[in-house]
Amino acid sequence: MGIWITAVVYGLSMSGILFLVSLALSIGYGLMRIVNMESMLYYSFGAYITYTIVSLTGNFFLGALCAILVGGGLGFLVETLLLRKVYHREMMFTMVVTYGVFMIGIGIIQYIWGLEPKPVASPVSAIVNILGVKIPLYRILIIFIAIAAYFLIQLLMNRTITGKAIRAGIENRENVEALGINIKNIFTLTFVVASAFAGLGGALYAPIVMVGPYMGFDMLLFAFITVILGGLGSIKGTMVAALILGQVINVGGTIWGPLSFVGPFVVMFFIILIKPTGLYGVKSSVSGADD
Amino acid sequence: MTFRHKIPVGPLFILLFLLLFRIAFPNKMTFLIEISIFSIYVMGNNILMGYLGYTSFGQPFYLSCGAYSAAIYLAYLGGNIFMAIIMAIAVSLVLSLILGPALMRLKGSYFTLINAALCAIGVFIFERLLIDLTHGNDGLWYRSNMRETPFIDIRFPSNFFIFVMLLLLAVHYLYLKMDRSALGSVFLAVKSNPRKMKSIGYDVFRIRCLGYSLSVMMSALAGALFAVNFGFVNPDMGANTRAIEVLLATLIGGIGSVYGPFLGALGFIGMKDFVSIWFSRWELFVGIITLLVLFKFNRGIWGGLVDLKSFMSGKINRTKNLSEQEK
Amino acid sequence: MESKKNLISVRDLNINYGKLSVVFDVSLEINSGEVVFLVGRNGAGKTTLFRTIAGFIKPLTGDIELNGQPIMGMGAYSIARKGVKYIHQDKKVFSDLTVKENLELSSYATRDYDWDPVLEIFPKLKILMDRKSGKLSGGEKQMLLMAMALIGRPQLVMMDEPTEGLAPHIIKDLATVFKKLSLNTTLFIVEQNLPMIADIADRVYCMKEGRIVSTITDEEKIKNMDFEKYL
Repeated sequence: MGIWITAVVYGLSMSGILFLVSLALSIGYGLMRIVNMESMLYYSFGAYITYTIVSLTGNFFLGALCAILVGGGLGFLVETLLLRKVYHREMMFTMVVTYGVFMIGIGIIQYIWGLEPKPVASPVSAIVNILGVKIPLYRILIIFIAIAAYFLIQLLMNRTITGKAIRAGIENRENVEALGINIKNIFTLTFVVASAFAGLGGALYAPIVMVGPYMGFDMLLFAFITVILGGLGSIKGTMVAALILGQVINVGGTIWGPLSFVGPFVVMFFIILIKPTGLYGVKSSVSGADD
Repeated sequence: MTFRHKIPVGPLFILLFLLLFRIAFPNKMTFLIEISIFSIYVMGNNILMGYLGYTSFGQPFYLSCGAYSAAIYLAYLGGNIFMAIIMAIAVSLVLSLILGPALMRLKGSYFTLINAALCAIGVFIFERLLIDLTHGNDGLWYRSNMRETPFIDIRFPSNFFIFVMLLLLAVHYLYLKMDRSALGSVFLAVKSNPRKMKSIGYDVFRIRCLGYSLSVMMSALAGALFAVNFGFVNPDMGANTRAIEVLLATLIGGIGSVYGPFLGALGFIGMKDFVSIWFSRWELFVGIITLLVLFKFNRGIWGGLVDLKSFMSGKINRTKNLSEQEK
Repeated sequence: MESKKNLISVRDLNINYGKLSVVFDVSLEINSGEVVFLVGRNGAGKTTLFRTIAGFIKPLTGDIELNGQPIMGMGAYSIARKGVKYIHQDKKVFSDLTVKENLELSSYATRDYDWDPVLEIFPKLKILMDRKSGKLSGGEKQMLLMAMALIGRPQLVMMDEPTEGLAPHIIKDLATVFKKLSLNTTLFIVEQNLPMIADIADRVYCMKEGRIVSTITDEEKIKNMDFEKYL
């Protein structure tokens, strides 16, 4: 019984991370109609910045704050310097371009921090007792931060005019422009916020995994699966998909070790076969032509 | 005109170039072998990217499938190198017939990403799932199992070089045939206007599946040749991070042309050889080159040569040609 | 009539998609306060012309001026802010947003938060405020789109086939609405509904195969549906 409770709670914290890092991919596809392969850079950089700040000052929360700033800042640079130039190009082109950026980012990480994986100490070492099972408090903390992030995003999307413009833009970019709204500014703002969340995800995940140059790659695939499963551009879908995948990875992994890696892919293939639009997607389907 | 069609000048020219290079720089033979095999790999990707308009981030998966098929055959089943290569092609054919119908229904962007996922699954299979067969990260070694082949013993690098040359000539010849035949034009037509092709009665889906199978088989052939060349394989060959290499080589050569892949392989491997001497951050370099090629030289080497030729012959005003492209 | 000043003038517009030319040497004038119609068969280039004026397509050559100021090459959003609103043919409202939120977006874009004049024209929207706009009927969607376009007191509203797919009695209502609108703004409409055009047009441009082949300003000719042969 004990290992199942552990698995579920660990799964929930994994879901939190997945949700945070997948946002940039989901919004990128839903709003800007691009697949930004480089989105996991903000996650990797977030983790590395946290490592550096923690080694320098010992303060994890300062590290997480810097990770958010660096993630958002990088997102701003990439969006304004590069992505703006490729929005009108075909999907394939932007994918290879952003893949190239991803490579450059990995190269920069290797240049600054080297190839060796770096450990980050957990900021909260307390253990809590849930139904007789000992669980690190830090895992619980991640879950709550992710929940807070979800409600913050929902608030932004439903209550602010920019959020409404984003929702409108996900449906129809051109009609937003026809109203007289400069959608490019909305793109930039959204992208910065989404990459800041990815940076936070990296910071939060850093104490759990070793921080390495290729960490973005593994996460990219999981994030991609989250986005397909949830439906493109749907925040709620991303959240639900992250919840499902977190359990698939951890509970599945407890049942049979390799499931923690293969499980998400199996889920993805099923989704593509059964419900190609994802759980909450309405607009896009996996088959047919690209826009 | 008929004369020109019967004798494949281009492939022979490539062969001549390689032979001259071989004589001029005797110690660069492994480099030439690598280029030759890599260009088969790039040609496979070019079918997807150049002819069908699909970009795959999963080509290393097909490469490593070919390599492991050959390797497992050589390590456990027999010592015949030719059989190993045939085995790799057969396995990849079966694989492509299973995966093709599923993958070619997908939108381009999904195709790209599902292939990336295949890559990750491939590494997982070869590294962990089949660890008893493949010895995981230690790699599978089988050079001592390889038996002498009839006519020329391709276990020796200099003979293997000749074998690869002949194979490259044959592949290029077939590739040229494909390009000149109706198939090549059908591929391109499907890429540019699938709806129209469907409406005039072509089975677009099956044409795409065919292209996919060809691409997978060529990648697997390249993988098998690499496996024979190195005498061992490890899961690294199929890593996600290497997916960009073949894409980049295709772009450097110029997509959708017959000789682009060879030029791309030459350019890419040459650059890699040169750069690795003084630059250890390979990913950074590859990324920068990718952006450069995409934004500044998007017609690749072959496109550049075509421009140069038309400039020399004065048929088309080059500046006009360029300004047309910008639109 | 003398008081009418020139609002939009398009000169020698050539538009192409890649190598395919679709609009050739189109010139047209629209004076403020007019109701101008553009008629022609499918594929004549009407929508392309509209989208070019609205800034979504960059033409090959030509000039587009609004009140004597060139607007060609500006982003679609800045043209919209200058008071040239374009309503797309597909009647797509932001279906995930409520009617109110749709209107809010338009207000945000134009900084005009006074909805009363618009709601006076479309009183029905008042009771639909909190409904998801995806659940509206075709006619209601068209009303919402027009209301959104009218917020910010635009100088010109361009509508691409506003009556397409609507029930006949709604089309009749729309004709009255158009008349009402024309008191305060200029209308430029792509339309296939001949009686409506005959009823309210000040000027009709006829397009055929990418060219404007006829301009009808004569009241009698409009009443007699002289443009019918171009449909």
